[in-house]
Amino acid sequence: MDFDENRDARELKRDRSQSTRYHWLAGAVALLLCWTLPPYGSMVAWAQHGHTTPVSAPAIGARAVDFELKLLDGKSVSLEQLRGKPVILNFFASWCDPCREEMPLINEIAAAANKGGYQVIGIAVEDTRAAVMQFSKETQLVFPIGLDLNSTVKRAYRIFGPPATFFIDAQGTIRDIVLGPVTPERTREGLKKAGVL
Amino acid sequence: MKRRHLILCLCSFTELLFFLIVLGPAVATQADDSKTLNFSTEVRLGRSAKNPSTPFLRFAPDGRLFAVWTEDDDRAVPTKQEAAAHEHGSMMRAPSPMRIVLLASSNDNGRTWTRFRQVNSAVEAVEGEEGGPRLALDKNNRPYVVWSVPNEKGDKTRANIRFAMENGKGGFTPAQTLNEIKNTARFPIVETMPDDSLLVGWIDRRVDNPAPRSLYLKRLSTRGEELTSSYKIAGGLCECCRLGIAFADGGKTVYMADRQVSEQQVRNHAVRKSTDGGRSFDAPVEISDDGWQVPSCPHSGPTIGRDGRGYLHVTWFTLGRSEKEAGIYYSLSKDGGQHFAPRQMVQANTAPEILHTTLAVANNGTVYLAWENLDDRGKAQIFVRSLAPDGQTWSPVQQISRTDGNASRAMLALSRKSLHVAWTETEGERSWISMRTATLAN
Repeated sequence: MDFDENRDARELKRDRSQSTRYHWLAGAVALLLCWTLPPYGSMVAWAQHGHTTPVSAPAIGARAVDFELKLLDGKSVSLEQLRGKPVILNFFASWCDPCREEMPLINEIAAAANKGGYQVIGIAVEDTRAAVMQFSKETQLVFPIGLDLNSTVKRAYRIFGPPATFFIDAQGTIRDIVLGPVTPERTREGLKKAGVL
Repeated sequence: MKRRHLILCLCSFTELLFFLIVLGPAVATQADDSKTLNFSTEVRLGRSAKNPSTPFLRFAPDGRLFAVWTEDDDRAVPTKQEAAAHEHGSMMRAPSPMRIVLLASSNDNGRTWTRFRQVNSAVEAVEGEEGGPRLALDKNNRPYVVWSVPNEKGDKTRANIRFAMENGKGGFTPAQTLNEIKNTARFPIVETMPDDSLLVGWIDRRVDNPAPRSLYLKRLSTRGEELTSSYKIAGGLCECCRLGIAFADGGKTVYMADRQVSEQQVRNHAVRKSTDGGRSFDAPVEISDDGWQVPSCPHSGPTIGRDGRGYLHVTWFTLGRSEKEAGIYYSLSKDGGQHFAPRQMVQANTAPEILHTTLAVANNGTVYLAWENLDDRGKAQIFVRSLAPDGQTWSPVQQISRTDGNASRAMLALSRKSLHVAWTETEGERSWISMRTATLAN
């Protein structure tokens, strides 16, 4: 028994020693991981900062976020007041190359909006009223342009750089999203999904 | 015994998780609170009624701090027709995109400034935001300024690079256009070279229209004479981002940082090196394979700096392969730009937003970074952070602006004694420039 007791005691001591080693090892590994993972710290800081919502784009099928913006002509526009007809929201900037390249197409579908029973709204982001007015004049835009001077609409729609186009149906549901410049094919597809064609 | 080991392993794993979750944040950021910078109160730059914006800062060899920025041009009175078209039943005046470039200097570390001087004499729509004016100073403290203006139709994407220098009489020389092919250039940079020449660079669309773009350089004498025609050093550039530049070996070595765009619209950043003073460049070295695939226009370029040890430091913004990776990043190269260390995140995006970042590097290798991010109210604010020369010890992230509007595009100037941060704040149609200074410990 003595022998057994001694053996148990030795095993217990060894186990405790192993346990201590495991604890130290775990601590060391944790510290090492923490030391080598600054992004993790930043992500935690983000969560601590109160921004725990994931950064993701508004999804197709979701309700389009309402907004109210001043137009170039001084009037206001809100998405709510356009309910009942499909809306094409085009985010652009006067300094943006791909925006300029797609603008003739956006202008073309805007020119057919009355006949087609839908509305095209441009939303100028990260821009000035003067520059947008000049842009509108130069490119002879035929649709109303909202000035998102404080970036509130851009943030609500999670735009990481213009252009971006949202096709919204008459009930206010996003039916298609094109990030980057639109093409004639994608425009037709978007209009169809929004219930225009 | 096996069961006991299993239990011990589980306990240890639980402990590991505990360390990571509870103690992780404190350790992971390796933030050294003692490195917090003490900033002065905010100083405004420019005339508030003229909507100043897009500041750029630089120290002169004599220790003066110089700044250039843009303001509304009073001479840009709209025509009667334009005014009538935009009165909207009120007395609202049609806004003008015309802006002027102004320059001022400070002898007391930014506390007070000399009366500003107007750099450009023409009425023109000087560009701001990502493509604002840039300034260089030669060994005699003479300022040289570049900026871009849209083409005659007002198209900012088909712009021209303008250049003017101090004329020795307190004013500036008439501006000259540097790009020989009209309506092709924007995002200019200018640096003075040790051989008494100037190196000007820009993003050019003359050849590979519509995309991607090319990087062109041109050399001027310090009298403004053209030493070379503009020449292409690189292709495949993103069309809408500013460039970064740094020097070594007394100007013989030039490093340029830019954002590349692939056929698949992947936008990674690269550094290219010249060992003959910018005449020719090696193949680009990718800083980080971020894999940011975006077909739109992310208006945010990299910044590069070099310390006294020869290490290169780069900061940039990327969304990465998923929005969860979005944020400000940093990397360094210890071998003159041949290889870059794995990127480190400086701060994650707090909301969906294109951010802009810049850095300044002290001779001892301390790196100071400034960028904007959204605060709890969803307003863009300016944040700063420093990295010790060991490349691992970060200071805490400090928010240094408290605007009710949006703050953006911080610029830095660094001396041995002080760090200066200037940025643009906007609210509706108003803009202004704020500036803060931190005194550095020796």
